[in-house]
Amino acid sequence: MDNYEYILRTEHVSKSFGKLEVLKDVNLSVKKGEVMCIIGPSGAGKSTYLRSLNQLETITGGKIFIKDELFLHRENDKTIERIDPVKQKEMLLEMGMVFQRFNLFPHLTVLDNVTLAPINVRKMDKEEARIIALDLLRRVGLSDKADEYPSRLSGGQQQRVAIARALAMQPEIMLFDEPTSALDPELVGEVLTVMKELANDGMTMLCVTHEMGFAREVADQVLFMSDGIITEMAPPDVIFDNPKNPRTQSFLKSILES
Amino acid sequence: MSKLLNKKRITYGIVIIVLLIVCIILNITKPSEETMMSQCSPEIQKQLEAEKDSVRKTVTVTYNSLGIINYCSFSTTSKNSANAMRERFVGFAGKVYPANEGAAKITGQMVNYTYRMLGCGENVFHGAKLTILLTTLTVFFGFIISIFLALGKISKNFIISKVCSAYIFFFRGTPLLIQMFVVYFAIPGIFGFAWKDLFAMSDVEAVYMGAFLAALISFSLNCAAYCAEIVRAAIQSIDKGQAEAGKALGLTYGQTMRKIIIPQSVRRMIPPVCNEFIMILKDASLVFAISLMDITTISKVIMTNELSYLVFIPALIIYLIITAFFTYLFNKIEAKFSVYE
Repeated sequence: MDNYEYILRTEHVSKSFGKLEVLKDVNLSVKKGEVMCIIGPSGAGKSTYLRSLNQLETITGGKIFIKDELFLHRENDKTIERIDPVKQKEMLLEMGMVFQRFNLFPHLTVLDNVTLAPINVRKMDKEEARIIALDLLRRVGLSDKADEYPSRLSGGQQQRVAIARALAMQPEIMLFDEPTSALDPELVGEVLTVMKELANDGMTMLCVTHEMGFAREVADQVLFMSDGIITEMAPPDVIFDNPKNPRTQSFLKSILES
Repeated sequence: MSKLLNKKRITYGIVIIVLLIVCIILNITKPSEETMMSQCSPEIQKQLEAEKDSVRKTVTVTYNSLGIINYCSFSTTSKNSANAMRERFVGFAGKVYPANEGAAKITGQMVNYTYRMLGCGENVFHGAKLTILLTTLTVFFGFIISIFLALGKISKNFIISKVCSAYIFFFRGTPLLIQMFVVYFAIPGIFGFAWKDLFAMSDVEAVYMGAFLAALISFSLNCAAYCAEIVRAAIQSIDKGQAEAGKALGLTYGQTMRKIIIPQSVRRMIPPVCNEFIMILKDASLVFAISLMDITTISKVIMTNELSYLVFIPALIIYLIITAFFTYLFNKIEAKFSVYE
């Protein structure tokens, strides 16, 4: 199964909310192990794009391929090619998602948050799931918090738990939807550190972010998105030092000046 | 802070233990039934002896025991009402007091009324026992049905959603009394059975059982409609991100509901469900219409028969005790579900 070219590929993805066209024509190909950072002004459709990859939004049109296999094909808000739902769900599990607002389950302990999906979806043995979860919590530096409830943790700690929770499903691709935007400035660093380690371990990552420093350091490619399309895509040093598109130039100028 | 709380708890504990001990002592020392029965005047004693074996009795003997206090009364019925005799006695703390007038009379009446309203000496379909049984079972079944109704109403399936909405609209939009009449009278009429025939017991008990079952069904269906709105509101008040996180982790809709959404919304449902419980507790008096007697109905009967307005004092106290107990219980449950906050 490993002889594929692109781990994730989208063709002509569009999405409208009523008359509002959020995504117009997004084409992207991601190779295994690549780290892509998506930047752009608010309302550009960055989050919507990430969410529609993970089926949290249903795209209006376009194709999504995972490991070169068709995952979803829709035109004019109708599914064109039906994919076997079991297979589709299996493919969906290749993607893990981290949300801006963490979305931890407040009624479960940290450990139960991490083991919930492996036990219920992967039908993993409870003890096995616990061992994996504790290992992941150790990786994000929170093994001592396993029995706490999320409300007892700081924002940064909660987001690290959320990353561990997503990793527990052993996804091939991690989607980060502004993972540090809801955090206090002094807590941003600890989350970014975990994400950097993840990138160094070879995880394929798609990350919507406003942390330009992080994008510059970690990303293989930086995508600039505006008005529902990817207007520029280049390695970080090119895009930050030498942007070609005038929209990118003005955006980076406004960000770096503030 | 916890030290202070502990101290408070110990004080409460001591007070409760002392009260219990006092009650036990009073219970042991109260006069026995024989002592109470032998109190009546020689004339009544004579009459009692005379008609011991006859079927027709002219003397009515009442004996009520309420744990720490006893009450008995003897009344004769005669054609000439001037000759009618009535003697009452209250037994308390080892002594028997005549209770024909004054404070003792009022105490005696209170004991008698409380005894009757609690449904002591009767089967479970009387008085407070009926009220509590009907209310708890109603909320239990109603709540279970309401979860399905609520999930149905927020379902994306158009037909299921409409059916559940119509159910809720119907049961909230019509009076409970008429719903109960329909279940008790109309449904057996249409399908050709009688509620009492469902039970293989003596006739009187089967009538009570049948009426209770009919009441329970109509009450539960009605309660379900009200609870469904509570459940729906609680489910929809949970942050959308929770469902998204569940979906992103690959949980199915059912798993997301069972493992994530419903456990969190239960805590938010408890206060309004407690409210609903108290409403049903009071609505339970509607069962008078199908030959069952709850606290309210019994107190009304006592008032009309004996022209005594004092009956409402024990009635109110009984209701308050039941409400206080269940409010306490619901608060405990709520606290149990709030550990994570």
